[in-house]
Amino acid sequence: METVLSITNLTKKFGRLTAVNNINLEVKRGQVFGMLGPNGSGKTTTLGMLMSVVNPTAGAFSWFGELPSNQVRKKIGAVLEHPIFYPYLSGQKNLELNAMIKECPPENIPNVLELVELTERKDDKYKTYSLGMKQRLAIASALLNDPTVLILDEPTNGLDPMGIAEIRELIKKIAANGKTIILASHLLDEVQKVCSHFAILKRGNLIHTGPVADASKGTETIEVHADVEGLNELLLNFGGTSSIARENGYYQVSLRDSFNSKDLNRFLFEHGVVADHLVTKRKSLEKMFLEILAEANH
Amino acid sequence: MLHLLKIDLKKLTSYRTFWIVCGLYFLTLGFGAASGMELLKLLANTFEKFGQELNINRIPLYHFPDVWMNLVWFSGLIKIVLAIMVVISITNEYTYRTLRQNIIDGMSRSQFLLSKILTNVLLSLMSVAMIFVVGLVTGMIYSPEIRISQMLTDLEFFPAYFLEIFFFLSYALMLGILIQRSGLTIILLLLSQMVETIITANIDNYVPWLIPYFPMKSIWNLIEFPLPRYAFQEIKDYITFGTVVTVIAWTLVFNYISYFKLKRADI
Repeated sequence: METVLSITNLTKKFGRLTAVNNINLEVKRGQVFGMLGPNGSGKTTTLGMLMSVVNPTAGAFSWFGELPSNQVRKKIGAVLEHPIFYPYLSGQKNLELNAMIKECPPENIPNVLELVELTERKDDKYKTYSLGMKQRLAIASALLNDPTVLILDEPTNGLDPMGIAEIRELIKKIAANGKTIILASHLLDEVQKVCSHFAILKRGNLIHTGPVADASKGTETIEVHADVEGLNELLLNFGGTSSIARENGYYQVSLRDSFNSKDLNRFLFEHGVVADHLVTKRKSLEKMFLEILAEANH
Repeated sequence: MLHLLKIDLKKLTSYRTFWIVCGLYFLTLGFGAASGMELLKLLANTFEKFGQELNINRIPLYHFPDVWMNLVWFSGLIKIVLAIMVVISITNEYTYRTLRQNIIDGMSRSQFLLSKILTNVLLSLMSVAMIFVVGLVTGMIYSPEIRISQMLTDLEFFPAYFLEIFFFLSYALMLGILIQRSGLTIILLLLSQMVETIITANIDNYVPWLIPYFPMKSIWNLIEFPLPRYAFQEIKDYITFGTVVTVIAWTLVFNYISYFKLKRADI
């Protein structure tokens, strides 16, 4: 697969603080790449360097195999941190200005406005927009020159649940068109729902990178409930049990590799117990994320 | 080049403050420059109160070629208004963080600076055009006889006037880029002359030869105060090569500092 972005040994120091430490990363065409990390882990600084607004202390990166330049940036649509526009200009005028900067035809403006559903408010001043509208205008602006890569930094920050859902749908719609998307977020749920690959940053270090699908593989947890005495002991006797916890009146049984919920169900049945509640839970990205962060502490 | 100028003008032409400040500037410039005779009449009235007589018709304020230098010198006094507009324009880019977004969207840092410098050139040229037209009209009205040779005399004051305005707008742009906050920048801009005067007054006894090379002083030296010539005093009613070089050198330094700062900064 074609490499869109390649980062080698990228480092940024602000005085004594190392915001980004020696990062190596590759993003391929068509990936929806999630960048995860707690607040202050260096996500925005990394993206800032990739968009040439932050000067790297050391290291290099290339877009589409080219050295960074303003011409290359025109092929990338990016929204870093929060939407930035001229407050006294209307949405339409702001986009016209951006079209001039990106040197792309202004004929795209109605299309992107339609896509983010802002056509009706396009002639109102930007400062009158709600936060959700501002975020959507930022996405419209990023899509203006039909970029091959889209960079979104916390695109749902500060939005209400409906706004979050709207933006999420929009990202999925854009990804379906085969665009490469780099999405920085601290919302794990969001990354799990839209991303194909992800990386985890912690205090400027890259501590994990891989496909999202891999993260939800591995050991399963089964939530069990049955109206019998001594269920705890019975579950402990099951060969596939690695640990048991009790939460909200249900037993949470973690299984060893090569065991699954069917085995547990059969075991219970053979011992004359019929479960009235049995749910298989795959490991969430959140759990994986916390595990990886915890490991990195050692 | 033209494209970059268009980008900056697009930002400004929908900005109400820009129209108000520029409107005030060009109105003051035009009407101020055209109302010199009224000022002379006022002056003559004051003289009369003290029992003296001032024949204003003997002062060729608007006669070709005197009109050029007179208008250019007085118009230079209100360049601060235009400079404040430049400060607002650049510091807005920092407070709205649009400078950052412009770079992300695909401008290079030098293109961004160039777009601002080109606007400065345009504003300076507009000031020159304004004063040229006012001078031409008033000269036609008040000159006792119109001779082409006299009209064409002393036109070098216009390139000098352009340099003066462009120098000052470059200075304002640099301050804005260095300080990034409009209020503080405007205060410093207003205090520049005073600060320089204090410094020069203190070093007057030690290195007097250095004083003409101070930035604000270089502007005063470029075009001298013209009125003493009507009191039979000898003045420098021409442009000297040395003062032009000093002003151009400062202008280059200001714009280079802007470039250097912009190139190095994390924005």
